[in-house]
Amino acid sequence: MAKTLFYFIVFPGFLFTALIGLLVSWIDRKVTARVQWRVGPPILQPFYDFVKLLGKETIVPQAGSKFTFLLSPLFGLAAVTIVSTLLWLVMISPEKTFLGDLIVVIYLLAIPSISIIIGGFASGNPLASLGASREMKMVLAYELPFILAIFTPVIKAQGIIKLGDLLQYQWANSIFLNSWSGFIAFVVAIICMQAKLALVPFDIPEAETEIIAGPYIEYSGAPLALHKLTRWMMLFVVPIFLVVVFMGGIIFSGLHILWGILKYVLLLVLIILIRNTNPRLRIDQAIKFFWGPVTILAVIGVILAFLGI
Amino acid sequence: MYLLHYLIIIPFIVGLFCLLVPKKLSKLVDSLAIGGSLATFYFIILTFLRKPVEWFYDDLLLLRLDNLSGFILLAIGLFGFLIVLYSLKFMAGKERLNEYYAYLLWTIGGAGGAILANNLILLLVFWGFLGLTLYLLIGIGGSEATPAAKKTLIIVGGSDALMILGVGIIWLLTGSFQMENISVPLTGPLPTIAFISLAIVSFAKAGAMPMHTWIPDCAEKAPIPVTAFLPASLDKLLGIYLLARIAVDFFVMNKAMGLLLLIVGAVTIIAAVMMALIQHDLKRLLSYHAVSQVGYMVLGIGTGNPIGVAGGIFHMLNHAIYKGCLFLTGGGVEHRAQTTDLDRLGGLAKLMPITFITCLIAALSISGVPPFNGFVSKWMVYQGVIELGKGGDKLWIIWLVAAMFGSALTLASFMKLIHSVFLGSSSTTTPSPEPKRKEVSFAMWFPMAVLAGLCVIFGVFAYKVPLKNLILPAVPGVSFLGFWSPGLATLLIIIGIVLGVIIYWLGRIKGLRTDTAYVGGEIIPQDSRVTGVDFYDTIRDLATLKAIYRKSEKKLFDIYDQGTRFVFFFIRGLRKIHSGVLSTYLFWSLFGMLILFIIMLFRI
Repeated sequence: MAKTLFYFIVFPGFLFTALIGLLVSWIDRKVTARVQWRVGPPILQPFYDFVKLLGKETIVPQAGSKFTFLLSPLFGLAAVTIVSTLLWLVMISPEKTFLGDLIVVIYLLAIPSISIIIGGFASGNPLASLGASREMKMVLAYELPFILAIFTPVIKAQGIIKLGDLLQYQWANSIFLNSWSGFIAFVVAIICMQAKLALVPFDIPEAETEIIAGPYIEYSGAPLALHKLTRWMMLFVVPIFLVVVFMGGIIFSGLHILWGILKYVLLLVLIILIRNTNPRLRIDQAIKFFWGPVTILAVIGVILAFLGI
Repeated sequence: MYLLHYLIIIPFIVGLFCLLVPKKLSKLVDSLAIGGSLATFYFIILTFLRKPVEWFYDDLLLLRLDNLSGFILLAIGLFGFLIVLYSLKFMAGKERLNEYYAYLLWTIGGAGGAILANNLILLLVFWGFLGLTLYLLIGIGGSEATPAAKKTLIIVGGSDALMILGVGIIWLLTGSFQMENISVPLTGPLPTIAFISLAIVSFAKAGAMPMHTWIPDCAEKAPIPVTAFLPASLDKLLGIYLLARIAVDFFVMNKAMGLLLLIVGAVTIIAAVMMALIQHDLKRLLSYHAVSQVGYMVLGIGTGNPIGVAGGIFHMLNHAIYKGCLFLTGGGVEHRAQTTDLDRLGGLAKLMPITFITCLIAALSISGVPPFNGFVSKWMVYQGVIELGKGGDKLWIIWLVAAMFGSALTLASFMKLIHSVFLGSSSTTTPSPEPKRKEVSFAMWFPMAVLAGLCVIFGVFAYKVPLKNLILPAVPGVSFLGFWSPGLATLLIIIGIVLGVIIYWLGRIKGLRTDTAYVGGEIIPQDSRVTGVDFYDTIRDLATLKAIYRKSEKKLFDIYDQGTRFVFFFIRGLRKIHSGVLSTYLFWSLFGMLILFIIMLFRI
């Protein structure tokens, strides 16, 4: 029990994920700044931001439901922490996996979105409601191709549904990215990940220039800090999920660790580049995009996987 | 007298008394109803603890309580009691209360009989009787409900004819009406016809597509406790019970019939939830989910492997719990706000906190959010589908995606519901006067709270409480080694929340300040607000979907409407003969008799 608590709170759970999340969000800002020919913030800036937000006054909107408004950020944080713990434990000792943990991870990764949506609804602000409804539509849009893409490796591995077994399958054979079906699914998953992280071109729910950060509009102080932290942690956890499913995870021995970290950084830089070189889509365009070309691509990947390619 | 008889006879007799009591003594009717349902529930628990219980007439095993029927009976008893309790307040002051409670009690008794019956004829009798009480209960909704009641009677009652056909064929093949003797391999046309007709009966009862169309109509017009009791919980229990019986016990399944079930399941999940997404009325929205969730149960049973079947059955039980709860909260909203139109509701979370929280829990459960109960049963269904894939079925990915994506769509439409009813800004156009909009009374929130509590318990202690005691004894062969432990996950979520609270505490959360919403300095007109009703219009307006939605609004997919059209087309000519002239009728009668005589003459 004490061990579980340690895993969950310190490593690889909350503290670890939060710290890396802060670091990753710094990388995001720094690279963005370099792309835009700016200098960018110092490495501790996200940490300063977080502490500063904690010190700010918390304002609760009059019209909304106070209790729900304050409670919803907590669920997102809890869910993302569990996912992180699960993924890292599976990478460290793949035999400790449990039946269907892949499905559990997919479900848990949806909870941060739900917490944003309910929080936005509870703030009683029309712009927040709009933003939250867009967030919900985004979830609908990317979830279909995302599920297809994540299950493509499962098809290739003849119905293995445990993350640990998927890893060991990849270590024994080759990583899924090395096959055509795996590659296509990986591309689909990257596009979906961009939407899951609500980054440009899919930052439609927030759309600062249009609906002033949408669901976050009424948040301030500590609750806002939690929302931000959850998002930073997501920026760390979701790519790691893809690394596990498609790229054989991180092997904890010697140089392999460095190689594993490189895989993650590669994904991160890709995310940042996509986000800095694209304009924002409209919500209907995004739905059409995901349910149209992206889903078709994902289906092609599934068919190829059945053919064994 | 045997224990099993009490379960059926008590509600019938008490129901009869309810009818006989003079209308003025409404308190007496209330206490009779609550006492009757409580007594039935008590005897059900007593019987359940002694299972398996059997009752022979001569040497025919007529009534039997085994592992499958046991927990279903338990659920029926619990729901019966909770619904009667809820009705005490909800139905107070309404017309025809005597009849209402009488029919409700008879339904409990009839359902008990149908579940206990071990003889197909007996099952048929109780099944038919339940169709009748369903018709009568919907009719309580007044003259507006008559068309819905008629539709229900025609679909559900009509399917009983198929049941007779199915039972007849089974008798032809096995020479027995006793359930324990029946095991028919699905080879050749006759067993297939029998299986399909019995499957359609269960689809009609449970509300799987394409036999679902009575549920939305019924939910809109019938009193909400009736909807919460029958289409939402009891009919699911009965329909899926029958499906499980025929798919697991009566017939030896083959690939083709399994595929049929899988297709029906997947289509039901997606199509019904897409309809739910665009509804404007609370009750209609909920009713489409009552259809959509049947898909998971049918899918689970269609996989044919133990974990899938167990998942389907567990989902049936879970569905009865959270959908019952959702309809009851809907009833609470209707009771206070006098409307279920999503356009005119909003901001009720502050005024009705218990209703809001129970509704939120049930909504998250139905969307399959861990750690609530819906997630566990859905997870088992997924696992069953994946097992199917390991067995060489290539189509498993379709069923899996349909089920998982359907779950996301469910979440979406419940987010819309939560927003339009409880959160968002409150409506200014609600007809009811302001002071009336407060929390409902104990008799109404208690049933909701019990059901929401069950959602949590069945999710968090999934293995220890429901699976080990109720579900797995009914479906042998499921192992739960390496199963995810919802208890641990819940603990972790709680710790996560505590961590969050600590961060709150570190921050200056104590100095909460309340302020008006910020909309960038704009002044929002009093009458304009985001209701949430048009959240998914972007999806509705997608080119392909738009055409389908339009067709379905014209009821092109409604088997009842199409059937009516078909029948009227056929009888167009015959209607002309019905002129009302007595002498013509007489002539036709004589003519018919003549033909009969001639036929008889030639046969001799």
